Amino acid sequence: MNGIVPYMKRDFTKWFRGRVAVISSLVMPAAWLIFVGLALPVQFTGNYLDFITPGILVMTMLSAGLSGGALLMFDKILGFLNKFLALPTPRSSILVGKILFITGRGLIQTTIILIIALLIGATLLNPVQYALTYFILFLFGVLISAFATTIALYLDDHDSYSAFNTMISMPLFFTSSALMPYSVMPAWLATIAHFNPLSYAIDAVRDVTAGGFPVLPLLVLLVLTGCVLAICTHVFRRVTV
Amino acid sequence: MNAIETTNLTKYYDALCAVDNLTLSVNNEIFALLGPNGSGKTTTVLMLTTLLRPTKGSATVCGHDISGDGEGVRKKLSYVPQDMAVDIKLTGRENVRFFADLYGVPQASDRVDDVLAVMDLTDRADDLIKTYSGGMRRRLELAQALVHEPSVLFLDEPTIGLDVAARKKIWEHIRALRKKGMTIFVTTHYMDEADQFCDRVGIISKGRIAALGTPMELKARLMKDVITVKIDGSFVPPEVDGVVFVGSNGDEVSFTAENGREALPALADALGKSGCLVRAMSLREPTLDDVFLHAVGQQEEPQGFEYNKFRIMLRRRR
Repeated sequence: MNGIVPYMKRDFTKWFRGRVAVISSLVMPAAWLIFVGLALPVQFTGNYLDFITPGILVMTMLSAGLSGGALLMFDKILGFLNKFLALPTPRSSILVGKILFITGRGLIQTTIILIIALLIGATLLNPVQYALTYFILFLFGVLISAFATTIALYLDDHDSYSAFNTMISMPLFFTSSALMPYSVMPAWLATIAHFNPLSYAIDAVRDVTAGGFPVLPLLVLLVLTGCVLAICTHVFRRVTV
Repeated sequence: MNAIETTNLTKYYDALCAVDNLTLSVNNEIFALLGPNGSGKTTTVLMLTTLLRPTKGSATVCGHDISGDGEGVRKKLSYVPQDMAVDIKLTGRENVRFFADLYGVPQASDRVDDVLAVMDLTDRADDLIKTYSGGMRRRLELAQALVHEPSVLFLDEPTIGLDVAARKKIWEHIRALRKKGMTIFVTTHYMDEADQFCDRVGIISKGRIAALGTPMELKARLMKDVITVKIDGSFVPPEVDGVVFVGSNGDEVSFTAENGREALPALADALGKSGCLVRAMSLREPTLDDVFLHAVGQQEEPQGFEYNKFRIMLRRRR
């Protein structure tokens, strides 16, 4: 599909030129890593930083995806989408390019967070483990950016979308397995955590860092991503007839 | 084969009929669709550029059907929408290059240089769009649209919000493109611009073509001169041969006459006899505004604003 690369190039150039946004989006996950990861006294593990790092990586991807969801909506509101739709370039590459950009941007941010984690004492993994970690983060990125894009296109209004974004990002994070294992959660929280898609991404990365291969979480993520992509494509087609 | 051919093109937004059985052919000319806001201009353009599906009827662009062969249509056209959409964080060159890449233009960088030069933007090509004026942004959009050498160019209100000099420049560019053989379809509600720069105009009202022809033809069809008189005192429409009372607006009354020069003194006499004081008289040839008012009828201010219909329309349009 031609068109994907130019669409992504446009978004990346714009992103890099907005210097403040590039840095500011990293502050929050870095703060979690340092102030919680290093400081929180926990009993269930000897190295809490190693435990929390997968959670923070997924959280970085989550906020990258949620903030990226607004991009296509803005293209629509500002009239760019109409110009793109009148091009002979396949229309689907607008959507694919956007999802790949949001995911790619998230992967760059998670890489920086990962480096910070290593610098402050997280355990170094082998290349295969990193490759798997990146694959999981990529999959989760596609899931969350397709989801966010769908919601934004559906709401069709910047204020509503940012309200939605604020509403779901923190609860999603706290009800996942990011901060503690299921065994130390209260029963009600553990139940919620098992239904939270974030948990599957976090558990998958955690399995990988422990040296395993996360069959079930990966399967769940794959199925979820497939479903959300289908819905996203449908909503995109509807707004772009 | 005409560049644009529509047959009974119709669009309903629920119950609201935006475009009503539009049949039109446009070829190798600057064609302007004129009409008040909400008359169906933009909806027509959106259908022709395959951004909106017609409810009924069909249309072809360069022989490609807009419903069946959208990609074929899009290969032939360029569309510049009403709201200026250029990336302000990119330079002029980058903005055009982006479109060249999307179109898959061969020898893209040469082609980008060419269109930037055509639009007189070479000097500022490497500046961020942030620093561009409105007129320059519009020309940049034209450059983006021209980069793949389209056969048909759709411009929705190309001069809206620009100053006089910038407007003139845009129209000069449009005329130059027309000379190269491009078909240009514009929508506008500036009558004077349509009169001056377009080969043929269609006046659209409530989704229907109310008048169609060259500006000259349309004005000639009225066949009348317009006389405006400024008066004091009570006014009774006088009976003068060949003069028709059109309407009054405050202390100004207007008439149309077959032969304005001869009617002028006769009208002044008649008005004087009827007891009102003539302060000033002016005579002018009909403009496209008169044609427009004649074709569309008196523009009534809508009594009630139907918010729901309006909202539905906006939603669909975006």
